[in-house]
Amino acid sequence: MSTMLRLQDVHKSFGGNSVLTGLNFHVRTGEIVGLLGPNGCGKSTVLNAITGYCPIDQGLIEVGGQPVNGLSSHQIAAKGVRRTFQLPSMPTRMTVREVVMAASTRSHGLFSTLCRFGATRSLEHETRERAHRLLEELLLTKVAYLPAASISGGQKKLLGIACAMMEQPALLLLDEPMAGVHPNLRSELVTTLRRINGQGITLVIIEHDMHFISETCSRCIVLDKGKTVADCLPSELETHESVVEAYLGKKSGGQYQVAGVIA
Amino acid sequence: MYSFLLHVATLSCIYALFGLALNLQAGFAGLLNFGFVAFAGVGAYASAITSSHGYPAPIGILFGVVAAMVVGFFMARLGRNLASDYWAIATLAVAELIRTVALNENWLTGGAQGISGVPALFRSASGVQNDPAFFLLALAMVAIALFACVRLSRGRFGRAIRLMREEPALATSLGYQLVPLKVKATVTSAAIASVGGSLLAHYMSFVGPDYMLASETFVIWTMVMIGGLGNNFGVVLGALLVEAIYSAVPFAKDYLNISSDIAGAVRLGTIGVVLLGCLLVRPGGLLPEKIRSAT
Repeated sequence: MSTMLRLQDVHKSFGGNSVLTGLNFHVRTGEIVGLLGPNGCGKSTVLNAITGYCPIDQGLIEVGGQPVNGLSSHQIAAKGVRRTFQLPSMPTRMTVREVVMAASTRSHGLFSTLCRFGATRSLEHETRERAHRLLEELLLTKVAYLPAASISGGQKKLLGIACAMMEQPALLLLDEPMAGVHPNLRSELVTTLRRINGQGITLVIIEHDMHFISETCSRCIVLDKGKTVADCLPSELETHESVVEAYLGKKSGGQYQVAGVIA
Repeated sequence: MYSFLLHVATLSCIYALFGLALNLQAGFAGLLNFGFVAFAGVGAYASAITSSHGYPAPIGILFGVVAAMVVGFFMARLGRNLASDYWAIATLAVAELIRTVALNENWLTGGAQGISGVPALFRSASGVQNDPAFFLLALAMVAIALFACVRLSRGRFGRAIRLMREEPALATSLGYQLVPLKVKATVTSAAIASVGGSLLAHYMSFVGPDYMLASETFVIWTMVMIGGLGNNFGVVLGALLVEAIYSAVPFAKDYLNISSDIAGAVRLGTIGVVLLGCLLVRPGGLLPEKIRSAT
């Protein structure tokens, strides 16, 4: 299987604070990989680095075999990479449905919009249909006509996924998709993500919810202090020595010395 | 009375063009342009200068559109790395710069005297300006601009710039390039404003640097805010309303025995009170932006 995403010796520091210190990992095409680690270990920074929101100091990031570090966010998005945000903020003066439709970025030129040629009209039609389907899939049909800023935090997360799915990405990076989502929707979200993966989309998911991880992911990468400390199956997490160490600290004399914060 | 009403209606149409143009930038793209009047001024001067060299009016209007678009392009590029409030100050500076050039370059713009004798577009049999014909032209221009603005704001381009206005980070993550979007919105807006400026030059048969005073920009802003930022129809209504208040003050002056000296202040004061009332009672304007349920 080919490699969809590869990070090699990635360094990033903010002032004197080194967040990523020689990070290495790769994700194969078609995988669902969970990205874990205690708070502050650099998970969100990894996502920001891959998507060009925060340029790295050193190292290599490849998507689909092509280096993307140094490119700007929209150029990386053009390579079929989409992401969601940990704390999504949504427009106040656009409806949920319109935000999803706005995520269709093809052919948004002045002239095509003004003239509405046949091609633009059929694209609009296609966009509307796809938005409708995605809203249904992500259980947002009921709120489709409400201002996007007015829906709950969990629904905003789902809306973020709907937007990211609009142009059928190759690689989808989700930043804590479960946080704030109503517990009743949990199993449906797992099903949805599996279905998205079934369409050939590679998923990288940052998440703290272990049950969710073990239900959804095929592999886990655990970060601590800006490095990969474990690359294992979800079922091996609890027994993996460095994972336990990352979350609970080093064991000395039968007691854990707490280093990271337990999420 | 008929000719007075026609005069008010014609000016309303010209200001409606300015309002629609400003709304495209400020209302939909969220670009705070405080130097907006420069576009109208460039259009007006371009028309006046080309017609003083004997070229026909359509050439002047076209030349104005191109010149205003160039100014718009540089204004938008100027702001590519500036936060919106800093960009607003920068646009104010650009407009003042252009006004100062117009005030001082006598050979080109006639300096403080401006350019008078800009030919009328339509003449009646007696040789004076044919006001009804001009009004119809201005009305047709508003109709075309309104149609274009409605289409742009509702279509794919409009969704892109509205998403950029509210959530730029989300827009980039989806693959939108913000700077070209800003440039496109500004340049289109400049073109529409320039047509309005050209019409004003031909209608008044005069262009002067006072056309580009910063206060003019804020009159247009007032129209947009009273009518409804982000609503094309609201903006047209706002232009009509503010122009009507402007024109009604001279009548009120006679009725209330206000001296001519303070009539100008009363005018501005009335507009200010209406704006303040509007902001307090209907912050979104008379016709607020519609949150589109279906497109």
